[in-house]
Amino acid sequence: MDKITIADVDLKKKLRKKGRGGEIWRRFKKNKTAIVGMFIFIFIVLVMIMADFIVSYNVAVTQKISNRFIQPGSAGHIFGTDNFGRDIMARIVHGSRNSLLVGIGAVTIGIILGGILGSISGFYGGGIDSLIVRTTDTVMCIPLMLLVLSIVAALGTSLVNVLIAMMIANVPHYIRIVRAAVLSVVGQDYIEAARACGTPSFWIILKHVIPNAIGPIIVQATMAVGTMIIHAAGISFLGMGIQPPTPEWGAMLNEAKNYMIDYPYTVIFPGLSIGLTALSLNLMGDGLRDALDPKLKD
Amino acid sequence: MARYIIKRVLMLIPMLLVIIFIVSFIMNLTPSDPGTLLLGERATPEAVAEMNARLGYSDPFFVRYVKYVIGAFQGNLGNSWKSGDPVIREILRRFPATLTLAVGAIVIGLTVGMTLGILSAVKQYSALDIAGTAFSMTLASFPGFWIGMMLIILFALKLGWLPSFGVGTLRHYILPWLTTSCAFGASMLRMTRTSMLESIRMDYIRTARAKGQTERIVILRHALRNALLPVVTILGMSFGGLLGGTVTIETVFSIPGVGSLIIEAIRMKDIPVVVGATVTLATCFTLLMLLVDILYAFIDPRIKARYLRY
Amino acid sequence: MSDEMVDYKKNFSESTPVLDVRNLEVIYRTSEGVVQAVNDISFTIAEGETMGLVGETGAGKTTTAFSVIGLLPERTGRIERGEILYKGEDLLKKSEDEMRMIRGTCISMIFQDPMTALNPILTVGDQILESLEIHNIEGKSREALDARVDELLSTVGISPGRKIEYPHQFSGGMKQRIVIAIALACEPLLLIADEPTTALDVTIQAQVLVLMEQLKTKLGTSMIMISHDLGVVAKTCDKVAIMYAGEIVEYGTAEDIFERAAHHPYTDGLFRAIPKLDEDTVRLQPINGLMPDPSNLPQGCKFHPRCPQCMDECREGKPYLYDQDGHRILCNIFSEKEVNK
Repeated sequence: MDKITIADVDLKKKLRKKGRGGEIWRRFKKNKTAIVGMFIFIFIVLVMIMADFIVSYNVAVTQKISNRFIQPGSAGHIFGTDNFGRDIMARIVHGSRNSLLVGIGAVTIGIILGGILGSISGFYGGGIDSLIVRTTDTVMCIPLMLLVLSIVAALGTSLVNVLIAMMIANVPHYIRIVRAAVLSVVGQDYIEAARACGTPSFWIILKHVIPNAIGPIIVQATMAVGTMIIHAAGISFLGMGIQPPTPEWGAMLNEAKNYMIDYPYTVIFPGLSIGLTALSLNLMGDGLRDALDPKLKD
Repeated sequence: MARYIIKRVLMLIPMLLVIIFIVSFIMNLTPSDPGTLLLGERATPEAVAEMNARLGYSDPFFVRYVKYVIGAFQGNLGNSWKSGDPVIREILRRFPATLTLAVGAIVIGLTVGMTLGILSAVKQYSALDIAGTAFSMTLASFPGFWIGMMLIILFALKLGWLPSFGVGTLRHYILPWLTTSCAFGASMLRMTRTSMLESIRMDYIRTARAKGQTERIVILRHALRNALLPVVTILGMSFGGLLGGTVTIETVFSIPGVGSLIIEAIRMKDIPVVVGATVTLATCFTLLMLLVDILYAFIDPRIKARYLRY
Repeated sequence: MSDEMVDYKKNFSESTPVLDVRNLEVIYRTSEGVVQAVNDISFTIAEGETMGLVGETGAGKTTTAFSVIGLLPERTGRIERGEILYKGEDLLKKSEDEMRMIRGTCISMIFQDPMTALNPILTVGDQILESLEIHNIEGKSREALDARVDELLSTVGISPGRKIEYPHQFSGGMKQRIVIAIALACEPLLLIADEPTTALDVTIQAQVLVLMEQLKTKLGTSMIMISHDLGVVAKTCDKVAIMYAGEIVEYGTAEDIFERAAHHPYTDGLFRAIPKLDEDTVRLQPINGLMPDPSNLPQGCKFHPRCPQCMDECREGKPYLYDQDGHRILCNIFSEKEVNK
């Protein structure tokens, strides 16, 4: 083109001003529920980080029978106390660490492992792909909860083992997600173009495939953290996860379930914590998905 | 078509072999042996060792695996280390409760979830859509067993309308059904909505409208049938998942299902029961997924054509 | 149901045009803001006439078509102003049920992409039959309708035996023939063809165009042919409207557009961008720049940022409307010429 017109300049300015990230953030910002979710999540993370400044760990674990079942709203015990006279709010505040750690940890490690296997599978195809796909399909036939429980049974009950079990049980899931994301990118012309130019495979994956496939993976991961927190709570609820007196939301429910008839608040608050955390993550994930893929909006 | 189904059934065999292998391998790591469980803590080490040898437990893992697989394909999943009863009998005794729970939850979740999903998609951004999305997302965010506890507190304890636990009558199942259908119904709603939104945007919907077709038929005949594939997938997967994944809910409502059988067995380190029950549930899952694949062919002629080529 | 149906085809007098669009304005309300999709356009189509609607992607051609057939996206699209008179009756005043009876029987539409225009899970026969069933005012028997399906399929050159097959078993050109059969099932008086050949191979394009031409002549149907291909328009149309950024910048008979010298600079640009076999062109001259962002249209003449003959007065106010015996051009250069005369 010999002449650059005003329209061209305008367009270029516009493109420079808003990168892809900026564009996504701009759309995400418009989604009020997603922003609410983000603030709730930030709040929960802050509580987790500052737990020791909010209330000392001792308050969360010290048993004092004379303080049993103080109703919520009482002085010094906003959420009341449990069957051992421990302050429920303190236990929730300190329990956030364990719950979030398991959730975020299992998803992060799961995505890294699943990401590597999934990208190999999706990018190379052929024999290695069908091997990986067959194996993941098979593992995914075992109900997730049961798989995690048997791994925990084999390894012994502890925070780390629950994390390992959840990670192992989840890897197939992430392989699937990443593989699907990679496959949707690999078919595109620009990957063919890069291949035709003789770009090395790992470089194509790193430079072209991952950046373009990362969107749906982030969305899935955000929501998966919530799901993992729920699962981890379930495992602790069955008494197979984190053991008392360590504060953890699911374990709190397990301890409190025998008293819920007379003291419903002992189960309400830990459950609300789990739900609110998962909800905030789901809202964020939903907003991210809409921001990344606006075609379903109108 | 028949050839495709036979081929798929044959493909299940290696899958089951791998599933049995994975589950037995994991459980083999568990510190437990039949001798100790059957004879009790006070038995002499010699007696325990003799018992283990008699039961074939002293054999190497691989030998036991092959024996187990041969037995499994004849319907013999071994005997419980605790009671000595055949595992298959224990599973069959527990299965009806699990099935009742799963089927009821599926019926409720499917009806409510799909109806709301369709309405939400048709009236996108209406009050109903926003409420439905908010409701489903909230339900999906809370642990099922906790929702169950809340329902017990409300309906059984405060209002006294329904029994809180046990399986005596169908009335006992109402709260467990509601609890279990929450997560499933929520995912059903979301899937139906997304899938409908996609198919409503298709050109053939415009073609149907341009013909002068009524909106109701456009939605039901054209959009819904095309939106059904992912919905059926979720349905199959959830049904399979509900058979085994309701351990926590079974615990809350004291339902003697397969899930609670497994958790009891895990606690007692009764490995044959854990392996047998897990493998049974995984088999149910694979069969359901096969059923889903066959259903595809009836929904979409393109998939049927692909199956016919086999 | 059938007694409520009104046969809109019957009540018209010979002289009124089949379609008379007056000062139509359509907007889309999206999350990105209000988009001016169609901006004050007018045109008429007489019986048996074909009008070409030419322009780039995003010029508002399809929006115009959707407004006429009443299928604008419900939530976002809105007709702000104007009238769409079909046989003298304003379609914008019709209820949804009345519009439904008009669609298919009086006005039909052929969509751009035959690959996606057919429902993949219904047989093609059923999809044609559907059209007939909806508008079966006379209460014909199933056999009669089936026979009509066979007849329609043979008319578009497909063996009636294939009606039990599904869309994926047909090629693109065949699918477009089926789409045409669906559109013509109830012998509408107005057919809107939205780029009916764009998605097809060049050889198939010609076949489909010939078929449409034959059917149109046979049935006496009027047609709006939406296209960005001036070649197709030259071959098939009696009238041409050139759209740019939601406006008709030039409107006239095929002769006005293809034979006369006076043109809108945009039309000139379009012509220069086509290779000509009879002239020794060194290289094609594209129109510089891009179509403006429809949510942020330029002041004055919408084309002025890209116009090689842009003048100061083009930057603001509405451009001059040149009108000579129905050949209308929306451009200030003609006001100047008139002053100079």
